[in-house]
Amino acid sequence: MEPVIEVSHLCRTYQVAQKKAGLLASIRGLWKAETRTVEAVRDVSFRIEPGEMVAFLGPNGAGKTTTLKMLAGLVYPTSGTARVLGFQPWERHDAFRRQFSLVMGQKNQLWWDLPAADSFELHREIYSLERARFDRTLAELVEMFGVDKLTRQPVRELSLGERMKMELIASLLHEPKVLLLDEPTIGLDVVAQSTIQRCLREYNQRKGATIILTSHYMRDVEALCSRVLMIVSGRLQYDGQLGGLLDRFGRIKLVRLQFEELVPEGLDRFGECKIIGPVAELRLEKNRVAQALSAVVDLPGLVDLSVQDPPLEDVVAMAFGSGAEKP
Amino acid sequence: MSAGPLPVSAGPGLMGSLKKYLRIFRVSLVERLAYRADFLLGTVLRFLPMVTSVLLWSAVYRGSGRDTIEGYTCREVIAYLLLVHVSRMFSSMPGLAAGIARDIRDGTVKRYLVQPLDLQAHLLAYRAAHKFAYILTSALPYAGLFFFMSSYFDWPAEPWIWAAWLTSLLLGFLMGFLMEFALGLLGFWFLEISSFLYLINTVSFFLSGHLMPLDLFGERMAMVLKELPFQYLAYFPASVILGRETPETVIKGLLVELGWCLAFFIAGRVALRMGLKRFSAFGG
Amino acid sequence: MVNEREHPARRRLASYLRLLGAFGRFSLNRELAFRGNFLMKVLLEVVWLGILLLFFHTIFRNTSRIEGWNEYQYLFFLGCYYALEGLIETLFLENCIEFGELVRTGNLDFFLLKPIDEQFLLSFRHIDWSTAPKVFIGGALMGVSLWELGEPIGLLKAFCFVVTLGSGIAMAYSFLLILASTAIWMVRNQSLMELWWLFSSLMRYPRDIYEEPWAVLIQKVFTFLLPALLVVSVPAEAMVRVLEPGIIVWTILAGMMMLVISRWVFRKSIRFYRSASS
Repeated sequence: MEPVIEVSHLCRTYQVAQKKAGLLASIRGLWKAETRTVEAVRDVSFRIEPGEMVAFLGPNGAGKTTTLKMLAGLVYPTSGTARVLGFQPWERHDAFRRQFSLVMGQKNQLWWDLPAADSFELHREIYSLERARFDRTLAELVEMFGVDKLTRQPVRELSLGERMKMELIASLLHEPKVLLLDEPTIGLDVVAQSTIQRCLREYNQRKGATIILTSHYMRDVEALCSRVLMIVSGRLQYDGQLGGLLDRFGRIKLVRLQFEELVPEGLDRFGECKIIGPVAELRLEKNRVAQALSAVVDLPGLVDLSVQDPPLEDVVAMAFGSGAEKP
Repeated sequence: MSAGPLPVSAGPGLMGSLKKYLRIFRVSLVERLAYRADFLLGTVLRFLPMVTSVLLWSAVYRGSGRDTIEGYTCREVIAYLLLVHVSRMFSSMPGLAAGIARDIRDGTVKRYLVQPLDLQAHLLAYRAAHKFAYILTSALPYAGLFFFMSSYFDWPAEPWIWAAWLTSLLLGFLMGFLMEFALGLLGFWFLEISSFLYLINTVSFFLSGHLMPLDLFGERMAMVLKELPFQYLAYFPASVILGRETPETVIKGLLVELGWCLAFFIAGRVALRMGLKRFSAFGG
Repeated sequence: MVNEREHPARRRLASYLRLLGAFGRFSLNRELAFRGNFLMKVLLEVVWLGILLLFFHTIFRNTSRIEGWNEYQYLFFLGCYYALEGLIETLFLENCIEFGELVRTGNLDFFLLKPIDEQFLLSFRHIDWSTAPKVFIGGALMGVSLWELGEPIGLLKAFCFVVTLGSGIAMAYSFLLILASTAIWMVRNQSLMELWWLFSSLMRYPRDIYEEPWAVLIQKVFTFLLPALLVVSVPAEAMVRVLEPGIIVWTILAGMMMLVISRWVFRKSIRFYRSASS
């Protein structure tokens, strides 16, 4: 089967072009721009088959969004090739643009003062969608996301989660074959996040659309994607199954203990221990958590206890030893 | 342009205020001159409409076949239009009302409930400093323009006229500030007043004599228009320095202007009191 | 590879027209959602018209001609100006002003993703209905003055008028588009509104008034370099004064050239945006 996305040695280096102030400086700046080179994406290659759900993981500024934007044709690569649905994205053919969608978390493309339904209608006009089919698709999506009563309310009156759902519906109205999502659940509450995750999964199963999302929430990735591409400092550091990633770098949990006064001695026998005032943070492997918990729960002066996932940055940092680049 | 005060801390008393103003002045001046080409472009842009006006009025007078219209010669009309620019330099308060309304809308005005700080005094100080800097930096290009167009001017010799002009300009600044301030306070009662402000500005543009001398509208209309406070923002100072006013009319004009200032001041204070009370009642 | 020209050109034109209709519809919905504001804006236009007419009346109380334009010829000019300014404000001004905001927030990206020409999308997406009455009022003023002038309007005159008016609109639009595009690579100290005000102040009076010897340079600059003086003056002249073939041809040419230039500047700016963003 032809891969739906094929990327080969993609690089993106750009000059930080400061907008010039002052008339003469601006005009001069058009020809001779100020140069500070940033290598956002370095030699990235991968293939994605139709119907896959893939996550780009990585710390902030790692190049995930840039790569995604290159797939969308918003950004020119410096070198390398990419083919999405048989097109070169940055040539931005109309036929290409009809077949994919890009959704960016916390960025709104719906008309602010009008009901979402109006924006959807406008969307139909822009994509020249046939009425009957459009109505059917819209009804399906509205039901799937559970926003039936909300489509007639002005978008500005909706909560962040509801707005995001509307954005997603708008992005799916033209039944794209490829859906690109940039931090779709950022800033949303847990309930909204899980609804969106469920809907995306359902959409993928029903329509066979290829979904790529960038995130730095482990939760999104675990819920949705089997395949993970880890991008650190512009390089693709890992491409494979999610399970493999977690196995490779160990399942670490953070156990946070809060004591009344002083943290008792000897906690580091359970694992790496960081003490800040009356709080101790233990880093241990998942399979040792139960054992550690049963031991600490009786410690005198223990006021509060919680078990958490370490932030993704930590996982990445641990994985690659403080972000050192591989040649 | 925001109406918010600069976060400038100052020492106590007169020395402190003076230092603060000087600092603001220096910063504004540097800011202005830094963009020299922009400055040049801005100057050209500001004076191009003036060129158009000169051409238009020359054409009008030529077509009329007369020397004077409603007591104004062509030279006087053109001189008037330039002088009105000077009046507006003092009395225009761009963004003041809108800024106040915005501060009310997003709750920034809250601090005037809590701190021993008065909104009106604060804004007045800020605007005064800003105007001072603006006038100083604009003085050179304007002086150049006046020199360039000196053939249109018959500067009066009597010193009292100059004194009266300066007074009317300063009062014009005060009047402009108090009017815009009072307008901005409407934001306590109405959510979206930007369109209304724009409307008032357009009306003011017309009624203040910015477009053309009020007298040109005909004697009756001009009389009505001169009863309104707007004339003091542009027309009155220009008329004074053109030597068209007698000492009696000047004194009367200044006194009436003072009266209007007082009226707007009182209206502003009352509105501020009521508005803040309403604001705290609604929790912002 | 899928052929880009899926639809024949005629169907594409139809879909763009339909889209324009949709923009109009939804913009109207949006305006009416803020009824008070909308009425206030309409009131503003009425006041502005009042000022213009009062100005006109005052001048012609005292004079019979301005550089050869008699009262009703000048009224026609005024109507033409008002209608054209109204058209530009209704269709384009708001969109051009908002363009800077789109660049700043990065929301411009969304417009680059749609299977529709970006310039079309960005130029027409919001239609400001509150200034639309200006077009009709301007038209009415033009009608009244033509009636009063009583001259027969030949086909040639009407044709020249329409074509030069179109060119004038094209020139004003191109100017706005170039200004808006600069938001991508330049920090402008003057707002777009200020610069538009300047352009419109140049087109507000007949270009004949620039005949003075000392103003010749200004006239040349704004006739040949940035043809603001041609925008209203030439169509009005074509209709109520003498048909000058030379200036008409130049106006049409200038209109077409400015459209081409502005599109080039726009596309170059978008390219810059895309190569500079991350």
